[in-house]
Amino acid sequence: MSDSSPTSDHASHGPITREGESADDRALHAHDDAGHGGHDGHGGIGKYLLVFLALCVLTTMSFLTYSSVWPWRDQPHVGWAFMMAVSCTKALLVVLFFMHVFWEANWKYVLTIPAAMMAIFLALMLVPDIGMRNRMVSQERALYMPRASDVRLLEHASESKPLAEPAAH
Amino acid sequence: MSASAFPVPNGHEAHSGGHDQHSGDHGHHGPVLQYQPGLPLTRGKLIMWLFLSTEIMFFAGLLGSYVVLRFGAPVWPKPHHVHLSEPIGAFNTFVLICSSVTIVLALEAARANRSGLAKIWMVLTLLLGMLFLGVKGYEYQAKFSHGIYPQMPHGLIHDKPDLYYGSAVRARLGEPAIIDKLKELDDAPADTLTAEQASARTRLQQVRKMVASPEQQAFDMAVVADQVMPLPTDGPAGDHAGGESGHGGHASGLNDIFPWLRLPAVIPGGTMWASTYFLLTGFHAVHVLVGLIVFSILLLYKLGPKDAGKIENAGLYWHFVDLVWIFLFPLLYLF
Repeated sequence: MSDSSPTSDHASHGPITREGESADDRALHAHDDAGHGGHDGHGGIGKYLLVFLALCVLTTMSFLTYSSVWPWRDQPHVGWAFMMAVSCTKALLVVLFFMHVFWEANWKYVLTIPAAMMAIFLALMLVPDIGMRNRMVSQERALYMPRASDVRLLEHASESKPLAEPAAH
Repeated sequence: MSASAFPVPNGHEAHSGGHDQHSGDHGHHGPVLQYQPGLPLTRGKLIMWLFLSTEIMFFAGLLGSYVVLRFGAPVWPKPHHVHLSEPIGAFNTFVLICSSVTIVLALEAARANRSGLAKIWMVLTLLLGMLFLGVKGYEYQAKFSHGIYPQMPHGLIHDKPDLYYGSAVRARLGEPAIIDKLKELDDAPADTLTAEQASARTRLQQVRKMVASPEQQAFDMAVVADQVMPLPTDGPAGDHAGGESGHGGHASGLNDIFPWLRLPAVIPGGTMWASTYFLLTGFHAVHVLVGLIVFSILLLYKLGPKDAGKIENAGLYWHFVDLVWIFLFPLLYLF
């Protein structure tokens, strides 16, 4: 992190406590909505293009799970885990570099960590009521809910094409 | 945080009086802490980040309920059952990633005081966002044309080929407008119909008999459902590339051959799928739309260094929209 921290004194999103920046300077920045007076030491178009390239490669990688070269087509969980890993990597790249979080001061943790924790908590709280709602159902409900057997029924029906004579009626 | 993290001001601020001057932290008063008014970032950016953290929770709720509903469901349609095209989804992912790059480049150009270049990047971002929405609209159209709607008045999808499905088909076939159309079709001379339409007419007549029969069985309803809109078969990659346009092996359904028919169709688990799909992609599309409005407003500015803060905030929002899609794409298209 330290190697890429801005060298310019006037990057308003640098560490707040950088030596040599007076309280006046900070107050000025705080009231200056345009924010960045000069260039920031970070970024650079080359870096963005590199991230872009990585994102494209990662998208292609997750798309691979759909193609026929993917060796674990019969085990969907492998593909799911892989795709989530790829998605998290992509998200991380976007947040760190495109959203400049990589170069931000420590306030970034104040905002992102609680939000992420609450997001995970929120999703977990859905599990008992919604995710497990079909674990124990009344017989009547079980009768009317769609099942994997319905898919097989439809596939079986399509095998008996062309439609036979109005089926024994 | 150590005391050195809060530099001592140079004496022009009123502190608890008594001591003469601050020459460092090692005075006999101990470290003098300076009051920090807030987070060290501009007000606009702070508010944008606060907004984004609420957005994180908003989409976490939506995505979380999708995942939980999907894995808690007794059966969930495969992407090809619901006419999702993975290549189109991947293309849209690419479009959004490109737009994320262009907005970042617009920000860099504005900071470098090259407002002309910034405008070009901004316009490109706007166009890419519109392209995304256009592709999304095309995809929605493919769903609508198969009777997949978020809710019932338009939706034709039933979860199960049971007797309720049969009665829904019967009800549709009994509507006056359809009765007229069916009569017209029955009376049409054979030479005015294509071979496909002629065979479909025979199949339709058999379907009508089957749903009207008093001793219908569940399997008969599966046959009816298969005639109305067969489930697309699971082909390896590439086979289904034309699926969105209706050439993926399911063009033989009665609903495809006679578009006016609009008979109820069966996709097991399809109703819950439609609710989640349209809710998730719909909210995402609304976010894209808001981003496009923001970009259009930004284009009225000069986009010089003074506007860099505005571009940065709009960009933060836009990257977040991209971020949501990064998760939506595999969850909806590839799982």
